[in-house]
Amino acid sequence: MTSSAATRKFVTRAELGKSLGRVRRLPWTLVLGSVLLTIYILVAITGPLWAPFPYDRIGTGKPFAPPNAKNLLGTDQMGRDLFSRVVHGAGHELFLALTSTALAVVLGGFLGLLSGFVGGWFDEILMRLFEVLISIPVLVFALLVIMAAGLEASGNEWLLVGVVALVWLPRTGRMARSVAIDLVTRDYVLVARARGESAWSIVWRELLPNATGVLLVEFGVRAGYAPILIGSLGFLGLGVRPPTPEWGLMISENRANLVAAPYTVLAPALALSGLVISLNMFTDGLARVLGRQVKRF
Amino acid sequence: MEQNGPLIEIRDLTVEYWQGDRWNPVVENLSLHINPAETLGLVGESGCGKSTTANALLGYRPRSARYRSGHVFFGGQDLLRLSDSALQRIRGRQISFVPQNPTTALSPGIHVGDQIVEALMVHHYSKTAHEARERALDLLTRVGLPNASTIFKRYPHQLSGGQQQRVIIAMALACDPQLIVLDEPTTGLDVTTQAQILDLLMDLQSSYGLAMLYVTHNLGVVAQICTRIGVMYAGQIVEVAPRNVIFKQPLHPYTQGLIASVPRITAPAQLRSLLLRGLLKRDELPAGCPFAPRCGFAQEVCFTQSQHLVEVGRDHAVACWRWQEIPSLAQRLAETQSVAFRQCERPSCQPDEVLLKVENLGAAYTVQQRHLFARPIPRLIVDGVSFDIRPGETFALVGESGSGKSTIARALNGFIPYVTGNLRFDGQYDLTIPVDKRTRNLLRELQLVFQNPDASLNPRQRISQIIGRPLQMFFGLSGAALRRRVEELLEDVRLDRRYYDRFPDELSGGERQRVAIARALAAEPKLMLCDEVLSALDVSVQANIIELLAELQAKRNVAYLFISHDLAVVRSLAHRVGVLYWGALCEVGTTEEVFSPPFHPYTYLLLSAVPEADPDQVMPEARKDIGLIISEDKPACPFALRCPWKSASHCNDEPPPWQTLSRTHMLRCHIPVEELRQHDVWTDRFKRA
Repeated sequence: MTSSAATRKFVTRAELGKSLGRVRRLPWTLVLGSVLLTIYILVAITGPLWAPFPYDRIGTGKPFAPPNAKNLLGTDQMGRDLFSRVVHGAGHELFLALTSTALAVVLGGFLGLLSGFVGGWFDEILMRLFEVLISIPVLVFALLVIMAAGLEASGNEWLLVGVVALVWLPRTGRMARSVAIDLVTRDYVLVARARGESAWSIVWRELLPNATGVLLVEFGVRAGYAPILIGSLGFLGLGVRPPTPEWGLMISENRANLVAAPYTVLAPALALSGLVISLNMFTDGLARVLGRQVKRF
Repeated sequence: MEQNGPLIEIRDLTVEYWQGDRWNPVVENLSLHINPAETLGLVGESGCGKSTTANALLGYRPRSARYRSGHVFFGGQDLLRLSDSALQRIRGRQISFVPQNPTTALSPGIHVGDQIVEALMVHHYSKTAHEARERALDLLTRVGLPNASTIFKRYPHQLSGGQQQRVIIAMALACDPQLIVLDEPTTGLDVTTQAQILDLLMDLQSSYGLAMLYVTHNLGVVAQICTRIGVMYAGQIVEVAPRNVIFKQPLHPYTQGLIASVPRITAPAQLRSLLLRGLLKRDELPAGCPFAPRCGFAQEVCFTQSQHLVEVGRDHAVACWRWQEIPSLAQRLAETQSVAFRQCERPSCQPDEVLLKVENLGAAYTVQQRHLFARPIPRLIVDGVSFDIRPGETFALVGESGSGKSTIARALNGFIPYVTGNLRFDGQYDLTIPVDKRTRNLLRELQLVFQNPDASLNPRQRISQIIGRPLQMFFGLSGAALRRRVEELLEDVRLDRRYYDRFPDELSGGERQRVAIARALAAEPKLMLCDEVLSALDVSVQANIIELLAELQAKRNVAYLFISHDLAVVRSLAHRVGVLYWGALCEVGTTEEVFSPPFHPYTYLLLSAVPEADPDQVMPEARKDIGLIISEDKPACPFALRCPWKSASHCNDEPPPWQTLSRTHMLRCHIPVEELRQHDVWTDRFKRA
């Protein structure tokens, strides 16, 4: 008895050592991605406390002032401080992009896996529906949803989250289904069916753990596109309303001044692409770790 | 190039693979030579470095590998030090390669003939495209594809596995190479197809004087085809000798164990795996002989000092410190207690008690029609199959791939959309109902084990979840009780309790198959459907699993429906056998009855195609055989198109009668039993053509 207890303790310790060893061998994309994302999140949370100006303060400098000591990234046409606006915008950006994409990936992933497993008419109808939704151009589709919700609701952040989620949902759904179609032919799914598992249980226990890698990468890519979509809607007057410091909106607002004052677009654009890249690196690295196979002979 | 020396020589080769954090040697200080016009066989269990060695003969290594030391001398050059472009001129031209899986080796979008032409043109062997085409047609004819011009225009998926492998061999022969490296070229093929390919290779070798390196894990195949055999263990050659010497007087304990654990087709099998204990553990190798941890003769010196091959006779070298003291294989076998796997006498079992009764089973898949609203049409895969299984018995279904073996298992499990006939299980259940309409108790009593444990275990679940799930579902166990039961089951299949929290990819192939068996046992079934459960495993692991299955059966009185194409394994394990051809049974009987004359012509063909690990035995009839034929119009006797003894036209027109030979033995053939009795596969196997 004592000897077996001793062995177990030893094993736990050995396994602990192994997992510590794994941390050291994490993919560099995951390490860099999480560092960058942490910075973004820190800025989003603490930014409003230390940003030099409020995001809507007009005339902090001359309009279109180039970067200088007072306005670190320059100012826009109303003389608002771009640095402060970018810092203030981080929170909006992360909230809108992450919530909407997470919603889409969770729902779309579930529907797609279920559809791929159940097959037959259910799959047929759901996929045709998804295809119809995908075939409508993204902006037109978003406009239709906002119109249906009523103009007075436009600008509501939760509506935006819903719109973006609805746009991404059929796309992630199809992706998840294609993964499921491959997975359901595996023998372990057959064994689960022969055991009498419910469809829900098979999706949850057998399919989902094997699809997480793909879904995470999907999340990274979609979360990167979300700010662009939100920005476009803002530009059409249907997204967040000025003077909200949303990066996409800032790019749209200042795009006319691109030649004369490129930094007005550059600041939010760099912030946005940095977010997209770090999100992608993070999810890519995470997918690698989750999908890592222990190498053996 | 000197005339008398070896054609190619590997000297002191060490190959290492990058394992995430360090370089691991896979092949160590290996020396080997191949003489002109010689077939050298390289055998060993998976992971012993056979393929790595074979690749080195082409100067090829994967990206994650490096050559730490060594030379491969060919035609006065060292292949490991040649530039890529120089290697390209040798590969395919002077040394060619035949891989294991012909389906992935052929490019799916190009006519197979054009793929041969490509090889000829790349090496400027043929000067014009026309000349290359002519040669490709000629090659296709020579590898036994008679209507070459039709085959030339085919895509790979339009050919059978055997035909694809012939095309690959034609491609390897294209530029008249001096050496062909074959890496498990028949492993994925049926025994009958394998026999044809082996015959072709032997034929080509005698007519062209080619040298070959034949890499395989199948000792039967090397006994048929190779002139000299090298046995590999953990990246080293432990013994090399001419064919007859290796099989008659093996000296190294590993060679002895390997030969003893191959299940024999000619004799009722016995438990001989005792000669080979344990498993190759790459990360626990001692400084000395790598086999020492598994060797019954190991002494201190074996663990501490490595031993290189020493010449012990003509052409015979062995790497063992104690080869002079180790008793001969025959002596060791005589001393080992041989235990038959099958304990036929089970007092509890009533002979008339029936667990599963299958009458006139028909199973069909549906083919979707092209029209939008057309109803899918069923296509019959299995037709009119009847057999029964008694409690605690092993019933084996044998036949080539495509014969419908697995379809029967799936039909019993309710996975096939169209099932007809009378299927009664455990007296009360009707098995024609689909799986999602079955009661929980029926689901529990009928369990599945599949061929490939990689696919049948969810890679993202822990062993505890995999084995625990049926316990939760069927017995409502949870918490400590669940854990205790899972650990008991792990012990039942002789796995360490420490595996509880592991993932399947941390286990070896044999251990994973044990987990799959434990999962099936967890439900406490009355019948287990075992679909090719042994074919993905090494011989020594196979022997262990056979032993385990037999032991579990004796302990729990569970019945097995054992589906296999490996007749030697079936002979070891099964109480009764059904032989299946093209969706219909052609012979049913006890194992002894089916494996002794009179034989059904198809049984005879199957048995004669099995290569035995004994150089004195040949595969007589199989060489003339054409392989499984499935065409649109099925003759009354499905086997008529292929039958070597087909007598009259009524084989095509009248369904053959069931001839009853004993209470248990029936075969379905027009040929009278007396005539069938004259063909004895066991004596025919010793006659050389």
